[in-house]
Amino acid sequence: MPVRLEHVNFIYSPGSPSQKKALNDINLLFEDGCFTALIGKTGSGKSTLIQHLNGLLLPTSGVVEVGSYLIDMTLEYKKNGKVNTSLMKKKHKKKLKDVKGLRKKVGLVFQFPEYQLFEETVLKDVSYGPKNFGASEEEALNMSKEALKKVGLGEDFYNRSPFELSGGEKRRVAIAGILALNPEVLVLDEPTVGLDAESEQNLMDLLSGLNNNGTSIILATHDMDVVLRYATRALVLENGSILRDETPISLFQDREFLKTSSLEPPKVFSFALQLKERGLPIDLSRIKDCDSLADEIVRARREHD
Amino acid sequence: MTSFGRYSSYHTVIHRIDCRVKLMAMILFLVSVFLNYGTPWMNLVIYGGIFIVLLSISLVAKASFLSLFRSLKALWFMIFLLLLINVLFNGNDNSMILFTIPFNAEEGTGVAIRLGAIINVVYIFVRLVLVLMVTNILTQTTKPMELTASLEWLFYPLKLIHIPVHKFAMALSLALRFVPTLQEQTSRIMKAQASRGVDYKQGKFKEKIKALVSLIIPLFMSAFLTSGELADAMEARGYDPDGKRTKFKTDTWGMRDTISVIFLCLFTAGFITLAVLKPDLFAALNISVPAL
Repeated sequence: MPVRLEHVNFIYSPGSPSQKKALNDINLLFEDGCFTALIGKTGSGKSTLIQHLNGLLLPTSGVVEVGSYLIDMTLEYKKNGKVNTSLMKKKHKKKLKDVKGLRKKVGLVFQFPEYQLFEETVLKDVSYGPKNFGASEEEALNMSKEALKKVGLGEDFYNRSPFELSGGEKRRVAIAGILALNPEVLVLDEPTVGLDAESEQNLMDLLSGLNNNGTSIILATHDMDVVLRYATRALVLENGSILRDETPISLFQDREFLKTSSLEPPKVFSFALQLKERGLPIDLSRIKDCDSLADEIVRARREHD
Repeated sequence: MTSFGRYSSYHTVIHRIDCRVKLMAMILFLVSVFLNYGTPWMNLVIYGGIFIVLLSISLVAKASFLSLFRSLKALWFMIFLLLLINVLFNGNDNSMILFTIPFNAEEGTGVAIRLGAIINVVYIFVRLVLVLMVTNILTQTTKPMELTASLEWLFYPLKLIHIPVHKFAMALSLALRFVPTLQEQTSRIMKAQASRGVDYKQGKFKEKIKALVSLIIPLFMSAFLTSGELADAMEARGYDPDGKRTKFKTDTWGMRDTISVIFLCLFTAGFITLAVLKPDLFAALNISVPAL
């Protein structure tokens, strides 16, 4: 299910002294099965952009189109150049009815999603989402068990309280709560922050597996290693505008740009880049992580000799 | 558009007046509103005067006044209830009958709508609006933290009878400090649950209760967590509840504060004089008003 944003602007508390423009003429298309990384400093508008994808925030102006769902905030809401908020509110109310369907298609995992847990048992908590979207008790339980299996939590977790789990386990339960909805587009805000190396690896493997099965993944992250290794497209946001939209490989080669926007390329990639500059004919597009770098060095050396 | 009662970060004269002055002004204005100036008609005239003063202060302070009516929808219901009760059960039978709603035309019984009842409702409504206006001006122009500091100053005499005013003030300022944090948390959790298909606005009663539970439990969890962390952080930085504390922000008393205190004194003195002398303006000007 493709996601399209057209001339999307968003202003926080318009008209008040604390008014802030968070998104500035965003034009994007996320295609089916994409794995896109959103990069940007805190306050660059990443989270705001993400919340537009499932209708939690409505653009101040512009169009958001997700599959057959259309949120259109153009022209008719403007009067003398000013946004007519009362009309927008009316529209908002009308939209709320089918916005729920949109949220089933686009699963959104917030930063530190473990805060959303509230039920007595893990299984109940995960099945809360499917039940809200109209699944029967039995269906919901089956969907939840499947989602929990995906995140690597077995049967022994079903009847435990989510509050007595470790941080990493809580997060997996919370993510399972979204996965149980079987979304076609999965949007995650900094899902790996605060996880230990192993949990991080498991989570990223899970996402990449979902992506292989056709789920589109949109990921906001600070972790450039993750971007290099998994993403096929990198978007750089700054002050609510999109600065770059390209493959991670071409982004990480532009050292000038990375420096000015204070982004650090992955160590593996910097290393490969330096090897290439010093004469080793490495194919940079094959560099994903340590393993692929090692393979590439061996290959390059063989060809060189 | 500023919402009712919320601090708005303008830099008007009213914003810059010392908070202690504003706090005293609020109290004295409230006293003026509830003083008795003789006849009900005189009271209404005085209220008109207070209203004009408050309206001009609101305008200077850029405190939105219209939002008062917009954001307090419950107010209209209350007015209606008051009107109903007053009209039906007002015991004062001396006032003029405006008209009668016939109950039973043949027997000639009915409900008399008396002027006194209507005036009574207007009276309560006007007082309510004035009180809300005064408090609105204070809270829109004063940061909550300043307000706590002024409250501590105001309650200073209580320290003499060993009431730990500074502890209360600290508790209050911490509570106020967490209002925006909790708001943020609430909206975060609501959005997270909305992504799981919760609808806080529609649905059956049972679903709404469930939706509320899914908000309240995480909110409590995070509130307990943050308060524990905050307590640790305060102790780590050597907070001693009984220790002597200096102030980070020392209020500077300026010319504008002196002037506003003088105005405030004159104003209050004027109202108290009026309340004591109870001059009847209508009698003096030979305007006849219906008795109530």
